[in-house]
Amino acid sequence: MNCRELLLAEDVTVSRPGNDGSFERILEKTTLGVTPGEVLAVAGPSGSGKSTLLRLYNRLLEPDSGQVLLSGKDIRTISPPVLRAQVPLVAQKPYLFPGTVSNNLRASARLRRVEPPELHSPETKSLVEMCRVETSWLDRDARKLSVGQQQRVCLLRALLGPCKALLLDEPTSALDRQTGVQMAQTFKLLTKEKGLAIILVTHDLEIAEICADRIALMISGSVIETGPVTQVLNAPQAEASRQFLSSAVPDNGDVA
Amino acid sequence: MNTTIIDLSLWDLVTVYSLLLMSIALAHLLRAGQSRDIFWSGLRMFVQLLVVGYVLHLVFALESALAVFLILIVMSGFAVQTIGARVEKKMPNFYRVVGSAMLFGCGGMTFFFCTLVIGLEPWYDPRYLIPLAGMVIGNSMTGASLATERLAAEFHERREEIETALCLGSSVKLSAEPAVSSAFRAALIPSINAMAAMGLVFLPGMMTGQILSGTEPLIAVKYQIAIMCVITGSVALTAFIILRFGYRSYFTSYQSLREQ
Repeated sequence: MNCRELLLAEDVTVSRPGNDGSFERILEKTTLGVTPGEVLAVAGPSGSGKSTLLRLYNRLLEPDSGQVLLSGKDIRTISPPVLRAQVPLVAQKPYLFPGTVSNNLRASARLRRVEPPELHSPETKSLVEMCRVETSWLDRDARKLSVGQQQRVCLLRALLGPCKALLLDEPTSALDRQTGVQMAQTFKLLTKEKGLAIILVTHDLEIAEICADRIALMISGSVIETGPVTQVLNAPQAEASRQFLSSAVPDNGDVA
Repeated sequence: MNTTIIDLSLWDLVTVYSLLLMSIALAHLLRAGQSRDIFWSGLRMFVQLLVVGYVLHLVFALESALAVFLILIVMSGFAVQTIGARVEKKMPNFYRVVGSAMLFGCGGMTFFFCTLVIGLEPWYDPRYLIPLAGMVIGNSMTGASLATERLAAEFHERREEIETALCLGSSVKLSAEPAVSSAFRAALIPSINAMAAMGLVFLPGMMTGQILSGTEPLIAVKYQIAIMCVITGSVALTAFIILRFGYRSYFTSYQSLREQ
């Protein structure tokens, strides 16, 4: 494996004790990485291990074997809070702390005990614009925003720090189509303009096609195919990929 | 005024137990289904207190520090056992954490009170130490179970919040802070309420007991004030130790939330 990957999971295996005392394999010797400026979509049926894999990248979970590297460095050598500020995870369901939007945007600084971000600096302003967070929301009660607005605030909150790579777990599944598509465009913009790396777990292939550069298909704990998104979606190589895609795509075969 | 206490004869006890029979009859009348509970609890109280009475009688006569110490250990053991039975979701290392918290909280506070405040001679005088320690242990037991129960509930309810904080680069300590402070508040509420209502809503047991056995009311009041401070101090210290060490057990060694 070369070191171009900003974030790389190498031969990771995760198993979990099942109900009958046996061990259930969630991930089986999986290797998957993302480079700066790239959106990597991870798709697959539910229970295929996508979310488990995602949680390995910022050490919310540890693999039984294998390792995860950030810029070529084993993440176990980085203190977890430092790692997670650089590789934040945005969950499916937006969670905002009680209080105003600006209170939430300052939360990560407060939690990391650093100076709060200057919301009017040019650097921050461009992030605010990319996330489509409107300045009129700043003084509003964060929990009274719509789900789509809340998810954008969550995204911006994760970015207002030393963020290098972003982990997104089904970030558009709670949103309506139009808002989801806008979010996908934001993801693309963030990688192209800011050089971030994004790993996007999604079951929504349309969202993947809008923003992803590459896609990895996972089935029962293994990556069965990975490649440029249009190539994999239109001409999958593996039989299992074809089966998954034909079940996931609407009957008319129109992916986009 | 007669300052010698009026003893109760066996016949007197039988008379008061008729009140339990009345309670059983009333429960039966309303089909509350508690007749057996009242009967067994009443019987347990009788046997347990009778045993305690004889044990205390013996220990008072012995005047041995070891005997007093043993009694306190047994009392604390029962207290920790009771907390364990009451709390459903136990944190890992539950007994070690709760046991040492009770030891430091109750032991420290009682020792402080008996030596530095009352100035007992000898410091283990069972007539003072055992009932005082009993009150401190009993109240701290309630505080400890409230704290552990609340902590478990908070970690269950605040999972998303805590994980969000961790994902933004928070330390475990800071991410757990809302859960820990809520659990501490829960532990201390009974003591705060008791102090505020003291004398107005109810006359506390120790003070009443002292007055009944002929103590000057003003002395009894001063003892009651002192013991409430000791109880509150012990509850606070016990809960603090439990929470300070207990919250970590909800996290993995690599600072993420344990799976439930």
